[in-house]
Amino acid sequence: MLKFSKSHEWVKEDAAIATIGITDYAQKQLGDIVFIELPQPGAKLQKSEQLGTIESTKTASELYVPLSGEIVEVNSDLVDNPQWINESPYDKGWLVKLKITNHSELNSLMDESTYRELIAKESH
Amino acid sequence: MESRKTPLYQKHLQNKGRIIDFAGWALPLDYGSMLKEAKQVRLNCGLFDASHMGEIEIKGKGAFKFLQKLTPNDISLIAPGQMQYNLFLNTSGGIIDDFMCYYCDESLLCVVNSSNKDKVVSWLRDNKEQGVELIDKSEETALISIQGPSSSRVIARVFGEKIASLDYMFFTKKEIDHRQVLISRSGYTGEDGFEIYIESKDAPYFWDRLIQEGEGFGLISCGLGSRDILRIEAGYPLYGHEINEETNPYEASLGWAVKSNKDFIAKEEIVGIKNKGLKKIRVGFIMDEKALARQGYGLYLGRNKIGEVCSGTFSPNLNKFIGMAYVLSEYAATGKTIEIQIRKKFYKAKIAKYPFVKINTKSKKEV
Repeated sequence: MLKFSKSHEWVKEDAAIATIGITDYAQKQLGDIVFIELPQPGAKLQKSEQLGTIESTKTASELYVPLSGEIVEVNSDLVDNPQWINESPYDKGWLVKLKITNHSELNSLMDESTYRELIAKESH
Repeated sequence: MESRKTPLYQKHLQNKGRIIDFAGWALPLDYGSMLKEAKQVRLNCGLFDASHMGEIEIKGKGAFKFLQKLTPNDISLIAPGQMQYNLFLNTSGGIIDDFMCYYCDESLLCVVNSSNKDKVVSWLRDNKEQGVELIDKSEETALISIQGPSSSRVIARVFGEKIASLDYMFFTKKEIDHRQVLISRSGYTGEDGFEIYIESKDAPYFWDRLIQEGEGFGLISCGLGSRDILRIEAGYPLYGHEINEETNPYEASLGWAVKSNKDFIAKEEIVGIKNKGLKKIRVGFIMDEKALARQGYGLYLGRNKIGEVCSGTFSPNLNKFIGMAYVLSEYAATGKTIEIQIRKKFYKAKIAKYPFVKINTKSKKEV
């Protein structure tokens, strides 16, 4: 089941490993994504720290990590195929996998219906 | 302040255009993907709403002499039915605006940037002479641009074969389907194309006709995002980026539009600038690495700042990050490796020639 952050990242947790990406709403707001900068595996990040930078033809935005943990894998295919984030934000466009250090932080994330309410408000 | 709407605003909404504010106008940035739109224009053709542009008509006995005095290009090089790129210069030789001048039988029509329209109108009023009449037609005029290699085939279907065979930088006025139209073979993309001036009330009619007839030719509607990508690929300047009141035509590489065998406002300053030699010059650059350099970012050689980016983009047609910049003249050699600071990092780039793509206008001749 997916969980969502206020800064429009999604999280899929499986055996203490969280796969993280940006939501469909976020990719639509950004438009054509042309460049992404992500940390190296091994990087340890605290919740809400900067995860990287995502750049669309329109603008450059900072990405934030929705959970504390250690980066264990980075989707390196995105370097040559940043458009995957537009085309397939929940699948081929995943960004990083992170080993969760504080499981209780998952509770602070939104479920899908709460997230839908949030974006409904933002787009008005 | 609420953005102004062009007569095609409803069309953009229906077509799911992503509306942004551009110089006070509500216009589509894209219809989903500006990269796809920019590719489609070089491959087939695209349709742009440029109704925000300003149209100023100069009439009366003194019109020709008046505009000759105010601008560095020589209007006598063209005849009625032809158009020409030209500039308005301030008294120090800085660029007030760049514009297209349509030489009509009874008047000169200046198509100016929307953000500069009011400024240009006051500049013209301040310098107005006897026998010159100025009419701002921006409000009642809409502009649709069709660009790309299959443009002429779509134009033939909507406006007839004769109009479709216009020469580059020529135009004609005609009544089509009981509506007044001015069409020129011109554009802002480096591809073959046509610009269609109509009365605002007729804009939705012609937009629909073009979309209808364009269907079999790969025509898609395009937003401002792709317009910007295409003009950067073609190396064309945009006011507020490559040119402004502080830049002169020579450093902007627009010296070809300055004809020193005629007299015009700021001629002495312009000649002085040329004789002194240029401190900085407009160049192109291609990033060695994947990184988008935007306006205002610094160009460096070691620790020395040697220039500044005017425009940068990702070119979907070259699959490269490109842009234009001003750089100190001594570092302007093509192929030179420099660095551009993007956020906290420095990325390598090479000075490059523009246009970055092959120019496919029907003829390259421009006076």
